Amino acid sequence: MFFLVLTVLFPALAALLLRLLKEKAASHRTVCAVTGLSLLAECAFCLIACTGEDAAWTFLSIGADLPLVLSLDPLSRFFAPFFTLMWTVPVLYSFHYMESEGHERRYYVFYLLTLSALNALAFSGTLVTLYLFFELMTLLSVALVLHEMTREAIAAGIKYLLYSIAGATMGLLGIFFLAANTSSPLFTAGGSLRQDALTVSPQALLVILFITLLGFGTKAGLFPMHAWLPTAHPIAPAPASAVLSGVITKAGVLCILRILYYVVGPDFLRGTWAQYALCGVALATVFMGSMMAFKTDLFKKRLAYSTVSQVSYVLLGVFLLHPTALTGSMMHIVFHSAIKTCLFLAAGGIIHQTGKTKVSQLEGIGKQMPVTLWCFTLASVGLIGIPPTGGFISKWNLAQGALDSGLQVIPYLAPAVLLLSALLTAGYLLDVTIHGFFPGRDFDYASLKKTECPALMLVPMILCVLFTFLGGMFPSPLQSFFEGIVRGLF
Amino acid sequence: MPILLPCLVFLPMLWAPAAYLTGRKSKKARDIVVSAGALVHFALALTLLASVLSTKEAPSFTLDGFCGLGIRFRADGFRALYACVAGLMWSVTGLFNPEYFAHYRNRNRFGFFFLLTLGATCGVFLSDDLYTTFIFFEIMSLTSYPWVAHEETPGALRAAQTYLAVAVIGGMVTLMGLFLLHHALGTLQFEEMRQAARRLADPGSLLLPGVLVLVGFGGKAGMFPLHIWLPKAHPVAPAPASALLSGILTKTGIYGILVLTVYVFRTDTRWGLLILALGCVTMLLGAVLALFSVDLKRTLACSSMSQIGFILIGAACQSLLGEESSLAAQGTILHMLNHSLFKLGLFLCAGTVYMNLHQLNLNDIRGWGRKKPFLAVCFLLPALGISGIPLWSGFLSKSLLHEGLLEYIGLGAEGAGFSSVVEKVFIVTGGLTLTYMTKLFVALFVEKHPTRQKEFDRKTPYLSPVGRLLLLLPALLVTVPGVLPALTARPLSYAALPFMDAVPHDVDYFSLENLLGAFKSVLVALFCYPVVVRGLLMAPDMEKHGKKKAAPRVYVNRWFRRFDMEDTLYRPLIHGLLTGLGLLAQGLDRLLEGLMLPLGLLAGADLARGLDQLLERFLLPAGQSVLTALAKVLDGFTEKALKPAALHLGTFTGRVMDSSVDAMTLGLRRTLFRAKKPRPVPTVGNRLTFAVGSFLDRICAFLNRTVFKRRPIRTRFVSVLAALAEDAEENSRHFARTISFSLLVFALGFLALLFLVLR
Repeated sequence: MFFLVLTVLFPALAALLLRLLKEKAASHRTVCAVTGLSLLAECAFCLIACTGEDAAWTFLSIGADLPLVLSLDPLSRFFAPFFTLMWTVPVLYSFHYMESEGHERRYYVFYLLTLSALNALAFSGTLVTLYLFFELMTLLSVALVLHEMTREAIAAGIKYLLYSIAGATMGLLGIFFLAANTSSPLFTAGGSLRQDALTVSPQALLVILFITLLGFGTKAGLFPMHAWLPTAHPIAPAPASAVLSGVITKAGVLCILRILYYVVGPDFLRGTWAQYALCGVALATVFMGSMMAFKTDLFKKRLAYSTVSQVSYVLLGVFLLHPTALTGSMMHIVFHSAIKTCLFLAAGGIIHQTGKTKVSQLEGIGKQMPVTLWCFTLASVGLIGIPPTGGFISKWNLAQGALDSGLQVIPYLAPAVLLLSALLTAGYLLDVTIHGFFPGRDFDYASLKKTECPALMLVPMILCVLFTFLGGMFPSPLQSFFEGIVRGLF
Repeated sequence: MPILLPCLVFLPMLWAPAAYLTGRKSKKARDIVVSAGALVHFALALTLLASVLSTKEAPSFTLDGFCGLGIRFRADGFRALYACVAGLMWSVTGLFNPEYFAHYRNRNRFGFFFLLTLGATCGVFLSDDLYTTFIFFEIMSLTSYPWVAHEETPGALRAAQTYLAVAVIGGMVTLMGLFLLHHALGTLQFEEMRQAARRLADPGSLLLPGVLVLVGFGGKAGMFPLHIWLPKAHPVAPAPASALLSGILTKTGIYGILVLTVYVFRTDTRWGLLILALGCVTMLLGAVLALFSVDLKRTLACSSMSQIGFILIGAACQSLLGEESSLAAQGTILHMLNHSLFKLGLFLCAGTVYMNLHQLNLNDIRGWGRKKPFLAVCFLLPALGISGIPLWSGFLSKSLLHEGLLEYIGLGAEGAGFSSVVEKVFIVTGGLTLTYMTKLFVALFVEKHPTRQKEFDRKTPYLSPVGRLLLLLPALLVTVPGVLPALTARPLSYAALPFMDAVPHDVDYFSLENLLGAFKSVLVALFCYPVVVRGLLMAPDMEKHGKKKAAPRVYVNRWFRRFDMEDTLYRPLIHGLLTGLGLLAQGLDRLLEGLMLPLGLLAGADLARGLDQLLERFLLPAGQSVLTALAKVLDGFTEKALKPAALHLGTFTGRVMDSSVDAMTLGLRRTLFRAKKPRPVPTVGNRLTFAVGSFLDRICAFLNRTVFKRRPIRTRFVSVLAALAEDAEENSRHFARTISFSLLVFALGFLALLFLVLR
């Protein structure tokens, strides 16, 4: 329990320390060292905390029926280390990148604070706790979007905030009703809805649930509340875009998982119009995201739209309410996170080193920055879902789950849409690769300058790519871990 | 021996980075490493084939859990043979590369993908379940892309785009088919699929998955109507790459189709007829395209397509004839093998031409081969082979395929009438093959170039000794089996039969019937060459020589532009689809903000002003108002309108919130927060209050008895404390219910703080 609390508090304490440093003492080196070391320590704490037994600790009880609880259960055992690790990897990259962006200390303070909120979110044991830390996380991460403080950045920040608060309010509605209809305020695997003694009619509860899930889906970029994502993610500095896309979106998925599988229970929703509607919305998002990415020329915006599409792969798997699909979803959480981090870092590297922000300007970029573009290409292959990468494994599981789900239409529609989206993904990602590596006969090799990213920026990308491929070739440990989590939910 | 299987697949893949890294230091060393990689692979494959042939066992290798479902390799006669062919083709082209690529850029890249593709191709040919096949098939599709794009001319890049599109779209459709197939059968392992398919109550349900899987494999094989990449990619790819693309990569597609036919649709006549029809169209169309082409490599590419059609007919016979398919099975195997070797030889010859002239148009290269007897022989032998002339290996395989077809017609089963049409087409296409090969041979080695002939005849070295050896090898390999079929072709095809689930069946290759078939084809060619090629497809060169009658006749491309399926059908279709879907996506993307826009506009002004505005707009000329409205709506869809909308929305929300707080409070009071009925005053609180209270009460009682006898204390502490505790609990409950709102307030406060900090 000690380590659990430490995991939650430690980054915040580190952030405090960073804030308290005197202006003179806060040199580039010191700031980086404090951030890096505290993140390493955080990884260790998190892993130690997660090896413990299942536990729940009420740290504050607002009356008997609204306890604020930190708890350790299989799902948090996955999400907390996932958040922490994916938060640590890009930080290496930002050491170099943020030096030129300015306001390093402010960036790292909020970076660490956000991690605190994220871990608290992962360890939340009740709906109210979840909501509290969800809001906290939103507010803290606004600082990452606002970082550059340009007009666009502020506009994007406000848009992010408006959408997030609207979404959270929709979520809050459900929390009111769900709290009144569950037998226990604590998250219970498989749900604790009192189906025989509901205070509202089941149909009304379905409507509320639908709205709630759409609300939390805002964070995951679910249609129709996705529009903040392509605005806010590209504005942030590259390492922040990477974690916003790769990690923060997954916090929305976590909330949906908690509500669907730990409060309501999959059986309540199975086969209802709400399930069809949610699957439909997820599929629409999958399609819309990749199509918009295909049409977008701005490099980072293209990647942001791609996130909209890919996170909905995950949500589709969640909404299918089938063990295989859910396993696929969780695999996709991990793999998409690694891949998208790599893609954003590579894009950021290219923009940082050459100043080119549009895809159409990237002719021959592979000759200038071969390693970066190789990382980008291999990650793309993973995102398209070509074997032997992780993206293929998650897609295989998602499709098999969809086919076995026993719904109407969806079993055939879902794989078809996934594959259509995969084609579009190939279209919008390989486009960069092809023009980058095959600039054409007329390319001016004489005036070619090598502008490769420094090693510190390359390491996180290479790590992500390695993970995508190794995880795809040997998925068994991950898969059995997720199957273990999923087994308890059905 | 099982360990050889993963070695054959993964060794070249590991070898590839080594070659790349070597290449950054030394080009010579890189060439040696690349060739050595291919040669080592060939040696290993030969060892495998020898052991399979001698022990009659099929070693298998499983890597559990790899890529989720695990991958399985197995080397029976057919698969070992094809691993061997891959090794041979890569070795020959690998040795030819240094000479061909002497003046190219990016050779390191080519070497890297060359070896990578070798491993992946072997992975396809050795696979024992469709999952494995698919994994390596996809890798192969991607790693062979750089071959096609290698020259980086606009034409090459466009052809490469087509190649990639067919590969990726085909791959995804195949994956969809595999999802369904796995769902229906529960397995993708070949042998288990066969049993599961037999058990299935409704075999018709497999047709859709089958057709979907066919799209990817058929696309790679160059099957109509997915052949579009083939005639485009080959002429622009470097010759060694064309040889491999045409000779062996297309066979991976055939491999997939064979697996489907033999293991899933063994007795499904509908499937057989589908493949037969597609095969027939592919065969004929390929030959006609080849006949019309005036480009050396394009002709060879179209010829590949046509030969794939022959092989597909053999494949179709597998499911049409069921257990009786031995002849067709032998024919399919031999024709695959032969075609690989023909195309190896022919493309290397074409490569030699291109290497020296950098041109491929028949009119430009005309006569270059005169006085080069070695090259003529190396070209002629595979050309005769592919045309199915007796004494060359093509004759054997085509005869066997033909006999298989006749066998099915003989059965008189469903579709026999159609099959007899196919049989006629088969003979005619055989004739056309001879015709276009004659066209190439005559153009290259017999005719004279109108202007450059003297330059061409000069005795300059055009090919190194190593290159000569490499060209001679395939020429010999197609001739020897043709002369001595019983010693070479027969044992090989018998060894490969178990894969096709067929039993050996003796056949007289040089029977009268077979010779007659070949003779008919030759007759067709004897008619076609003078009439079609010399008559229709050649014309006096008007451009250079005016309208003089003596103008030399040149080859002209009489093929209609409109008939290019890629430009007239696929590209517009995909383009249209993308535009349509793009609009749909854009609509979805802006849906929410679009919906909010009118709301925000109305809410921004108060009601009176809104009415004023409305009236004003109506007063304006009608047309103008419509236009403005349209422009507004259009504007709204752009990002610019977002900010005013958000502002208006903000004002609106503010107003609504302002006035609705009261309503909400009222509503909440009525619902969630409704006052509870006053409870009866509790007599007992919780344990603590009771304990403390009763303790105090006792003290009071004690005091009352002793000190305060006159004025005793009448307070009952138990109930007082209980009431206090109840109050506290009630308060905390209220507090809890409002926590969310305080959180919102907290959020806003925090935001303000954030802004202060950030400023």
